[in-house]
Order: sequence, then C-alpha cells, then structure tokens
Amino acid sequence: MFQVIGGRGVQVTRLLAPGRAVLVEAVRGRKSRTDTVAKSKQGRIKVPPPVDPTEMVVLKERYAEYEMITRALRLEFKEEVLRKKYEEETGSMAEERSRQEAEEHRALMVFNDQENLRMLQQRVVRIQMEKEEAENKQVEAAIERELQQQEFIKEKEREILKLQEDAKNFITLENLDQRIEEALDSPKNYNFAVDKEGRVVKQTMLQ
Amino acid sequence: MVHLSSLLLKNYHGGYVVIRLALAGHKQANRPFYRIVAAYNKRARDGKYIEQLGTYDPLPNIYNEKLVSFNFDRIKYWIGCGAHPTKPISKLLGLAGFFPLHPMTITEAERQRAQTEPIAAGPGDDLQQGQKEAEP
Repeated sequence: MFQVIGGRGVQVTRLLAPGRAVLVEAVRGRKSRTDTVAKSKQGRIKVPPPVDPTEMVVLKERYAEYEMITRALRLEFKEEVLRKKYEEETGSMAEERSRQEAEEHRALMVFNDQENLRMLQQRVVRIQMEKEEAENKQVEAAIERELQQQEFIKEKEREILKLQEDAKNFITLENLDQRIEEALDSPKNYNFAVDKEGRVVKQTMLQ
Repeated sequence: MVHLSSLLLKNYHGGYVVIRLALAGHKQANRPFYRIVAAYNKRARDGKYIEQLGTYDPLPNIYNEKLVSFNFDRIKYWIGCGAHPTKPISKLLGLAGFFPLHPMTITEAERQRAQTEPIAAGPGDDLQQGQKEAEP
C-alpha cells in the first residue's frame, strides 16, 4: 500500500497494531498493484486481527509503564558508559598511570642506549680483529705468490739446463753420417721374454 | 575506538546497532541454537556481528530447562551506546530480571491461563460448589 518492495517473500501487511512500540509500514509482498488477484482470494476482505478492548486498555497501561522503565534504564546505562569513559581519561588513576608509563619509557630508553653502546664497542673490536686478519692474510698471500713465482722461475731454469744438456746429443747435419755409422755399428737387441711369474729374460739368440 | 552512539556510526553505516538473536551455524537440521549478538541493523541475521553477548537454546534439555546466558556488563555498555534490543531479546531479558517483565509475556500467560482454566475448572467447579454448600 505505501511502498512497493518488489521481490522475494518479504513478510508483511501488519498494520498499525495497537500496543506495538514500533511503527511498521505495510508492504506489498510478492505481487505488485497490477498483478491479478488469485482465484482463491477473489472475494476476500482483509480484516485486522480482533482486539479485546479491556485487554487492550490493560496492555496499553503495561506498555506505557514498560517503556518508561526501559527509557530510564537506557539513560542510566548511557550515563554509566560516559562516566567510565571520563574516569578512564581524566580519573584519579589516569595521571598515576601516565606518569608510570613515562617512567617506564624513560628507563627502557636508557637501557636501550646502554645496550647500543655495548653492541657498538663489541662491533668495533670485532671489526678491528677482522681488519687485522685480512691484512695478515693479504701479506701471506703476497708471500705465497712470491714463492710461487720463484719456484716457477727455478723450474724453467732447470728445464733450460736440461735442454742445453740434451742439445749436445742432438743429431745435426754434420753429425748425421757419424751417427748413422755409430748406430749401424752397435746393434741393440730389444727382444726379451717374460714368463708367468714375471721373470724377465733379456738373453736371446743374437743374430 | 569507542562505539559511542549512532552519531559516529551514521558516517559509514547510516544504521544503528541492534541486540538480536542470530542462528549459530551448526548446520544441523531441526536443531536450532541462537547467539545473542550485537550487530548493525542491515547486516544479515547470521552475518558478521560486532560482539557476541550470550546464547539461547530454544529446545529444552533433559531436566526440562531452556538454557540462556547473558554478558550483562557488555549488554549494559551496548544499550548505553544506543543499541536497540529486539522483541524476543527484551522478553528474555525481562524473564531474566535485567529488564522489567515484557507486557506481552504477561498477556500471553494470562491468555493461556484463560484458555486452560475452563478445562481445569470444569470438574473442579462442582467440588467447590459442594464445599460452599457444606460450609454455611
């Protein structure tokens, strides 16, 4: 009647029920004003629920009293909430609490500073140690490298000497004939025999 | 954060807080169990609530009692912040003694008594009449 709430099954059609505390608007329900009335509801006249007048009078009195009491209770509770809030913020305990908190904060900050100082000193010492160790390592590494280089040089010198020694025995164009002669003159026998026990026998039939 | 009165709530919700029964999600057919809950008005019945303030078990137990629990401290706080209790909650609180007895509780009781009286008074009436005749 008053507001179309088109849609699903919204519960409804309660008129101004007397004795009710809250005003409830009448609502149309599933069907809008243009929908046809159902066959079973063709001649229906909607009648509000029957009300007993004596009961209604008594009920109204009771409701008036009830509402008065609940209103008073609500105001009391509101006052209590406000009072609690006020006391928490500006009460007798609030100042002490804030003071204690400030003191705690100060003490903790001092402690924190001390800890930081201690940590700093430890850190400084540690960094010093690490630096010294690094330096030592560097020096040692340099020494190692030097040694390595020396070794390398020595190795190379040894090789050179060896090569020089070997050079004396090389076959050159001048030595060629001489060496051939020498080789042909001294036949070398590479044959040998080995048995199962591993004994080597170099003495063979020379031809 | 203080939930102080509808002034602060209207900025976002534009609604008010209610104290009502919400069905606890036990997901068991034919076994309801309600929580007494402070929630915003437009929220779903079983949806997100602000705070739980108690319970209500509608089915009677083996000693024929229906168990209800309330957190009176918090209920006082919420009503002080401007929450509206619903009809069943007001009735329960009335029966508990925290609120005055709801008028409908009294009227329902009277109606029920009026309904059951004639049945009880029928066989009892003759006895009473017999006594009255015998006295004087």
